[in-house]
Amino acid sequence: MSKKVIEINNLTKSYGKSRGVIDVSFSVEEGDIFGFLGPNGAGKSTTIRSMLGFLKINSGSIKILGMDSIKDHEKILRDVGYMPSEAWFYDNMKVSDVIKYAADVRGLDCTEEAGKICEILKVDIKKRIKQLSLGNRKKVSIACAMQHKPKLFIFDEPTSGLDPLIQKKFFGLINEYVDNDATCLLSTHVLSEVDKYCRHAAIMREGRLMMLETPHIDDETFLSFYEDEEE
Amino acid sequence: MRTVLKRELIQNIKNLLIWSISVGILGLICILLYESMQGDMKEMADAFSNMGAFSDAFGMSTLSIASLKGYFATEIGAVHGLGSGMFAAITAISIISKEEDGHTGEFTFSLPLSRSKIIAAKGICVAIMLVVFTAVCTVFYIVGFKILGEDMPMDQFFTFMGSQLLMNAEIAGICFGLSSLAGKNRIGLGLGIALLLYSYDVMGRVVPDLKDSLFWGPYSYCNAAEIFTGADTPAKALVVAVIVLALGVLFAFWNYNRRDLAS
Repeated sequence: MSKKVIEINNLTKSYGKSRGVIDVSFSVEEGDIFGFLGPNGAGKSTTIRSMLGFLKINSGSIKILGMDSIKDHEKILRDVGYMPSEAWFYDNMKVSDVIKYAADVRGLDCTEEAGKICEILKVDIKKRIKQLSLGNRKKVSIACAMQHKPKLFIFDEPTSGLDPLIQKKFFGLINEYVDNDATCLLSTHVLSEVDKYCRHAAIMREGRLMMLETPHIDDETFLSFYEDEEE
Repeated sequence: MRTVLKRELIQNIKNLLIWSISVGILGLICILLYESMQGDMKEMADAFSNMGAFSDAFGMSTLSIASLKGYFATEIGAVHGLGSGMFAAITAISIISKEEDGHTGEFTFSLPLSRSKIIAAKGICVAIMLVVFTAVCTVFYIVGFKILGEDMPMDQFFTFMGSQLLMNAEIAGICFGLSSLAGKNRIGLGLGIALLLYSYDVMGRVVPDLKDSLFWGPYSYCNAAEIFTGADTPAKALVVAVIVLALGVLFAFWNYNRRDLAS
């Protein structure tokens, strides 16, 4: 039986009177690439940020890699590679220093893996962060998330800003890690990515989650989730 | 935690050097000016010591600015007090909030460190910066004394620098707590707090009715004129300083651990 890497039960998070997510429950099994879809503001990032401990949840429980997301927060983050939708770093740092810093905090020497990722994604490690475009910052973020070979990847809109060739290489890397027992939660707006790479998927609408029977849905069905939101 | 501390120190070293060297050199220049002003000092000292409440406020009624000790206490004491207070405020008020303000929080807080460890690293960074700042300025002032070759009571001088460091720590403690509130740049507020506390002390020394309330402010126990005249250290003010410092730091830990982080 596959191990559950993510197990969320009845998660509710609100921001004062504003809705965040309501009664969200789902699980992701080891070795899965799980597509996480939904319109802007539906609650995808809130769910992810709750999982990572950035947000204090109102109720429910989150287990990551079999550990409690609140009690074992620090331990969990050792085995998680997270790439936020906006890849921001310290402006004055060099790319190589940022990547090394992320490894040093983990107490690991990731030189070899980081070198491999940077070569595949064509990351210019000599530049300073402030000299990079969004796409190039995202590549640095990918390297930081992957270099320590985590058991769980959490990507929040990872491909926006990346050119098609780098996108292809990025998914090549994900597949490589997942083949080695890693798991991936992929939050995205791009249906073709979910269709091509994901094994399971869920969609969020107005703070509630709905599991999809299959990640291979057609454009019309996909867009209907967005249209309903606008009405 | 050590890695975060190292990165914080590297990030802040430029500010530290600019502020410590600027305040240190300003103090050094003032000290060196003493020699060229010495001739005119006697008349000035008489005039300054008869300005009533203002003479009391700046210590000129108890110390003669015609002596190096009095000159240092009234002139450089004010320069260092204001400069170091402002440095402590802007360093501490931005050290936590800059993560959310600069959108780097998601990177930093996705690393396997608890919020408490990150706050602790930032707090230690502020403390190290204040100590280095004080040490650099101390060296500049001592160089000034050596160049002049005049007698200076070094025990009182070190007491003054030590109490200034405590004052810096108290202001930093207040600003550190405020820095944990939300991810906004509050450097203006930090500077305002430092200037307000300095003004509070000056006002307290000018207005007789406020004298009994002076101990609430951090500038009360590091007044150069009092230290160089051997006045008793106001114990009440020191107790308040330690309590305020501890409350500021504890508030930062408590508040940062309980709230949502902005993206």
